Amino acid sequence: MNFSFSDDQILLKNSVRAALDEQCKPEHVRAMFDDPKGYSAELWGEMAKLGWLGLPFPEEQGGAGLGLVELALLLEEMGRAAYPGPFFTTVVLGGLGLMLGGSAAQKDKWLSAFASGKARATAALLEEHLDWDPAATAATAPKAGSGWTLSGLKRFVPWAHTADVVLVPARSPEGLSLFLVDPKSPGVTLTPMVGIDLGSRWSEMRLDKVAVGVDAILGRPGAAGPVVEALLRRAAVMSSAEMLGAARRCLDMSVEYAKVREQFGQPIGSYQAIRHRCAEMLLEAENAHAAVYYAAWALTAGAEDAAVAASICKSYVNEAARKVCGDAIQVHGGIGFTWEYDLHLYMKRAKGLEPLYGDTEYHRELITRHVTSSR
Amino acid sequence: MDLNYTPEDIAFRKQARTWIEQNLPKKEIRTLEDRLAWHRKLFDAGYLGMGWPKEYGGGGARPMEQAVVADEMARANAPAPTNSLGLGIVGPTIVVHGTDAQKRRYLKKILSAEELWCQLYSEPNAGSDLAALRTSAVDQGDHFLVNGQKIWTSAGAIADWGLLLARTDTKVAKHKGISCFLMNMRQPGVDVRPLKQITGSSEFCEVYMTNARDEKSYQIGKLGEGWAIAQTTLGYELGGRALARITNYASQHSRLVEAAKRMRRHGKPLIEDPLVRQKLGRIWAEIEVERYQALRTLTLLERGEHPGAGGSLTKLSYSELEKRFMELALEILGPYGQLTEGAPKEFQLEIDTAVGERGSWAYAYLWSRAGTIYAGSSEIQKNVIGERILGLPKETRADRVGGKA
Ligand SMILES: Cc1cc2nc3c(=O)[nH]c(=O)nc-3n(C[C@H](O)[C@H](O)[C@H](O)COP(=O)(O)OP(=O)(O)OC[C@H]3O[C@@H](n4cnc5c(N)ncnc54)[C@H](O)[C@@H]3O)c2cc1C
Repeated sequence: MNFSFSDDQILLKNSVRAALDEQCKPEHVRAMFDDPKGYSAELWGEMAKLGWLGLPFPEEQGGAGLGLVELALLLEEMGRAAYPGPFFTTVVLGGLGLMLGGSAAQKDKWLSAFASGKARATAALLEEHLDWDPAATAATAPKAGSGWTLSGLKRFVPWAHTADVVLVPARSPEGLSLFLVDPKSPGVTLTPMVGIDLGSRWSEMRLDKVAVGVDAILGRPGAAGPVVEALLRRAAVMSSAEMLGAARRCLDMSVEYAKVREQFGQPIGSYQAIRHRCAEMLLEAENAHAAVYYAAWALTAGAEDAAVAASICKSYVNEAARKVCGDAIQVHGGIGFTWEYDLHLYMKRAKGLEPLYGDTEYHRELITRHVTSSR
Repeated sequence: MDLNYTPEDIAFRKQARTWIEQNLPKKEIRTLEDRLAWHRKLFDAGYLGMGWPKEYGGGGARPMEQAVVADEMARANAPAPTNSLGLGIVGPTIVVHGTDAQKRRYLKKILSAEELWCQLYSEPNAGSDLAALRTSAVDQGDHFLVNGQKIWTSAGAIADWGLLLARTDTKVAKHKGISCFLMNMRQPGVDVRPLKQITGSSEFCEVYMTNARDEKSYQIGKLGEGWAIAQTTLGYELGGRALARITNYASQHSRLVEAAKRMRRHGKPLIEDPLVRQKLGRIWAEIEVERYQALRTLTLLERGEHPGAGGSLTKLSYSELEKRFMELALEILGPYGQLTEGAPKEFQLEIDTAVGERGSWAYAYLWSRAGTIYAGSSEIQKNVIGERILGLPKETRADRVGGKA
C-alpha cells in the first residue's frame, strides 16, 4: 500500500502547475470572461502539444494512456488556476464517455480528434428538474428510418457552444440510449445560461426532432443507464479534483494573508478566531485530498468500492470546498469581497461545480443505498 | 407579557398597507432617477425619518411604528428608498450629536434625497481596527485640511456628502484623537474611484482626499469625540429594520417553496422530498426565532432603552443566518440558484438590490457573504460579546500592551 504520488506523477503535477502559472494567470481568466467563446484557442493548442487533451486515452487514439489519478492531478491544478475552457467537458465528459461506451470506430474518430485539439465535446446530463438519476431522463428518441429523432430540453450543458459533439441521453423505444449529437444540427437551439462562475459557460439545449443516424448511438440502444452512471461517477470525482484545487488556492491565499495583514498591531493570523479557522480549512482540504485520490485510484483500479468511493468523494468535497472557500472570504474581510482581488475566481469555480455531476443529496443517497444493501 | 400588537398598531399597519397597495411603483425600478421618484413618494407620505424629530422634517414616530412600516414594505417587496446611509447612519448621528444649525441644514435634505450621503470610516489599514485610522484633519484656523484615503465606501460614487472620521490629534491614545466631520464630496480635493464587488456591481468605492477642505461648521460634536460618536451610530439601524429584514427573508423563503413545488424529483414534486421539507422547516424556524428576537429588541427600544452590546448578538445572529439561508437556497435550487442570466421565471428572485438592479438568487447568495464582514465582522462581534456582555478577560493584543487602549 502506498498512498503517495510517484515521481512521474509529481513531475506531471509540477509541469502542469508551471504551464498554468505561465499561461493561465488570473489576468487570462478575467480576459476570457469577456471573450465571446470564453476560452483561448492558443492555450488549447498548447494543451494538445503538452499531451493533456489525450491524457487518459489509449495510445492508439493519440492518448497518453494514463489513469484517473493523473487526470485528477491535472484537474486539481486547473481548479487552482480557475482555468476557463472546455477541458473538463472534452476530456472527462466526452472522452471518458466514449471510452466507456463507444465503438472502435467512434473512439478512433473522436478520441484522436480530442487529443490533437481538433474537436471538443460535452455531455447533456441535466434536464429541467435537475434529477441526476439517468432513469429520470425525459428527452425522447423515437425511431425514424434506420436512425432516431431526438426531442427534449437539456439544461446547464457546459461549454455546449464550443462543442463539436454532445453526448445526449434520451429515451428510445429500446429504453435509455446515449446519442452523439452535433450541436450544429438542424433542430438544436443553444441559449446561454450565465452562472456566477464566468469561467464556466452553460447553455440550455433544446432539441426539436433532431435527426441522428444509426452510427450516432453510443453502445447498444436501451443500454445507456450503466454507461451514464459510470460516466457520472468519473465526472463526480474529476470535478471534485477541480474543486479541491480551487479550495487549496483559497486556503493558500488566506494563510498568506493572515500572516501579513495586521489589525490591532499584530497579524490577524495571531488571533485564535482566524488561526483556528485556517486550521479547519486545512483539515477540510486534506480530507478532500484523501477523498479525491482514493476515488480516482479506485475507479482506475476497478476496486470493489469504486462506485461508493466516488459518491463519498463528491459529497464530501462539496461541503469541504464550500467551507474552505467561504471561510477564505471571511478571513480576508473587505478585500475578499472585491472583484479585483482574485479570491472569488476560485470560490466561484468551486461553487459552480458543487451542484453538478450529482449534488450532495444525490451522492449521499447512493452511499446510503450501498451501506444498507451490503450489510 | 403580551405579544399582541395594540389596536393602534394594528390600525397603523392597515393604513400603511393600504398606502403601499395604492402607491407601489407599477414599473420595475431600473435607474437612480426611478428610485429617487419612489423615494420622494415615501418622503411625502411621511414614511422616511419617521423617528426623527418633527421640527427637522421627521415624524416623531415610535420605534414600533417605524418597524411596522418597514415590515409592510418588505411584505409588499417594495423597493428600498435611496440614501440608505444618510437615513440609517448619518441622519441619526446628526439628530443626536449635531447642533441645531446642522440639523436644520442637513436633515430634511437627507430625507428628501436632495443630498445623498456615504460613510467615510474604513481605511486600507483600519478595518476591524477602525481606531487605527490615519486620515488627518488639520486645523487651519477657519477650516480643516483633510488628507488620507478611505476604502469600501458604499454609495461613494453617487454621494454629495460623507460622514467622516479623521484624526485630529496624534499625541493621545488612538481612540481619543479621532473626530467626526461632514465632508463635502463635490470638491477638487476629493477623488472617488469605484470598486467592483464579487457580485459584479460597483457599490463601494475608494475615496482619496488630498488637501480637501472641511469648514469649521462641518464638525460634529467636540474634537476627540469621534470614536464615541461612531460607537453610538452603529446601533441606530437596529430597530427600524428589525422586522423588515426578517420579512425579506420570509418572502425569499416563500419563493423557495414555490420553486420546490415546481421542480420534480423521483416522479414527485421536490416539495414532497422529506429532506427538502426538513431543510425548509429548519430555516423557517430560524427565521421566525429571529423575528421573535426582533420583538424583544423592539420592546427595549419602545421603552427608550438602547440594546448596547446586545446589538452585537443581533448582528451576529442575522448575518450568520443569512449565509446559512442562502447556502440552503442554492442547495434546493441547484445551478438555477447561480444564474445571473437565462434563469426561467420560476427560478428568479425578484428582490430589489437597492442599486437599481434586478436581484437574483445568485446576487443574494454572493451578497450574503458581506454581512459577516461589514459593520463589525463576526469575529469582532464575538469579541464584543465575550468581553462586554459576558465579562470574559480580553484577548492579549499588541495594541493593548503596556496600558489601556
Ligand atoms: C459590502 C461592504 C460594504 C462596506 N461599506 C462600508 C462603508 O460604507 N463605509 C465604511 O467606512 N466601511 C465600509 N465597509 C468596510 C467594513 O466595515 C470593513 O470591511 C470591516 O470593518 C472589516 O475590515 P477589513 O475589511 O479591513 O478586514 P480586517 O479588519 O482586515 O479583517 C480581516 C479578518 O480578520 C479578522 N479580525 C480582525 N481583527 C480581529 C481580532 N482582533 N480578532 C479576531 N479576528 C480579527 C476579521 O474578522 C476578518 O475575518 C464595507 C465592507 C463591505 C464588505
